[in-house]
Amino acid sequence: MTHSISSCARAATAEEARYRIDRPIPGRSACVVALDDGAAEILERTDRPFTRSPAPGELADSDLVLVVATNDDGAELAADVARACWERGVMATGLIVGESRDAVTALRPYARNLMITDDEEDVVAVLAALRA
Amino acid sequence: MLKAEVNELLTRIGPGTPAGALFREYWLPALLAEELPEDDGPPVRVKILGERLIAFRNSEGAYGLIDEFCAHRGASLWFGKVCEGGIRCAYHGWKYGVDGQCLEVPSEPENSTFAAKVKLTSYPLVKVGDILWTHLGDPARRPPLPEFEFCHVPPEQTYTSKRWQESNWLQALEGGIDSSHVSWLHAGGLRNDPLFKGTKGNEYNLADLRPFFEVVDADGGLFVGARRNAEDGKYYWRITPYVMPSFTIVPPRGDHPVHGHFWVPIDDENTWVYTFDYHPTRALTAEERQAMKDGHGVHSRNIPGTYRPVENKDVDYLIDREAQRRGDTFSGVRGIAQQDASLQESMGPIVDRTKERLVSSDTGIIKCRQKLKKAIEALRDEGVTPPGVDPAHHRVRSAAIVLPQAESFIDAARDALAVRAGEAHVSV
Repeated sequence: MTHSISSCARAATAEEARYRIDRPIPGRSACVVALDDGAAEILERTDRPFTRSPAPGELADSDLVLVVATNDDGAELAADVARACWERGVMATGLIVGESRDAVTALRPYARNLMITDDEEDVVAVLAALRA
Repeated sequence: MLKAEVNELLTRIGPGTPAGALFREYWLPALLAEELPEDDGPPVRVKILGERLIAFRNSEGAYGLIDEFCAHRGASLWFGKVCEGGIRCAYHGWKYGVDGQCLEVPSEPENSTFAAKVKLTSYPLVKVGDILWTHLGDPARRPPLPEFEFCHVPPEQTYTSKRWQESNWLQALEGGIDSSHVSWLHAGGLRNDPLFKGTKGNEYNLADLRPFFEVVDADGGLFVGARRNAEDGKYYWRITPYVMPSFTIVPPRGDHPVHGHFWVPIDDENTWVYTFDYHPTRALTAEERQAMKDGHGVHSRNIPGTYRPVENKDVDYLIDREAQRRGDTFSGVRGIAQQDASLQESMGPIVDRTKERLVSSDTGIIKCRQKLKKAIEALRDEGVTPPGVDPAHHRVRSAAIVLPQAESFIDAARDALAVRAGEAHVSV
């Protein structure tokens, strides 16, 4: 089809949207880390594999690391994991459910994205949305 | 990625839909006050949440928003004559009041009571600031009027425009929450636009194309913080409030006016974008107001006599490949509003979110969808009033602020994010 003055008008219709190529989208290679007992309990309810202390190889093989915290117990581990991700060029995202001031502070320098929420169902929502 | 059924749940807003019920909990902009400038002036068609209505201003200055079609034979009241305290259908002269009550059926005997038995659906229409607001929901659940700061400052301190966007409301709103596109799609505007340029914040924006994001729950919605490196171990934060269901405020730049949007569904595939600029403590200058009317900042340049942007899909958004090549604009489309609209409309009327590949920087969008979904379900299943209905949730501000690295933006900027009458916004 040649370019016409109104190619956008035609291309933006619902009818044309049906012709978008339908190709399976693979999931992401994600490593989910529970920083404390509360985070582990949340992740157990999701039936999603997770780790309490990721090996360096696990982080390096991932293209996304999701760190979940519910309190400050894992602040030191948070800093270690986030720093390791930073050094390996792996995207780290922190999900803080409830109050975890120290964990947030530990993650902030290295985790490109932080969500601070009162709703534990956000953990599942983020994992699903990112295909993790 | 979103499941198909959740995408349907969030995007369909007509009568009887769960998301439509959510929107019907709020006061929403129905039209600009400038569209009904005088008593007994011409009526205006209004389509909102999939309902076709007619708005008019009667002989006493009262506003009416009623079913567009005459109860008699279904003719449009757009052809009607506003006079004698109501609107008369042009076909047979049936007359209706601002509350939709039929006041006169000329073909009936003089002492007939027939007219009293005829009433069109009607909704309230109330002027707050430059906007006429309506509430399409249950009158028993009608909340107090909106208290957004932009419509409560003196008239000389605020300006509101409107444009038609040819896409579903949600993909339009999501652009307002997605800060990561600004340094790319709108880079030209940061350098050149009269309503943006010349601030220290722009230098931080343009020097750091990989911002970090923090998303924090708020009573009425969310705060989305985007942080970039600043000097001396500090961060430059741009903080965007999102108030449910579809209101956002863009973080300010220097002493420029603050702008934001209210995205109002016309139907499932079209949206009215109400765009405002205001300054909390000073009048807008004549130059600023003219720049807004000319489509600078986040406003659009509309086809005269309409609210359709000049740069629309029927003319390929007047894309200028030479400007794109030179770097004047990143996409070749003029103006921030239509740079956004062109890409959001290109997704199709309702984007298929099952085919997305979201990344971590989309966390704000993910959380926004999750909040909408939960509010829709809580209202549908338990009648829970959603966040953003309470006018206290409207009294928020955006902010642009430099903070020490160790500080949480939500704690350090708490005062900056609240409306403080008579005080300027916090901005860099």
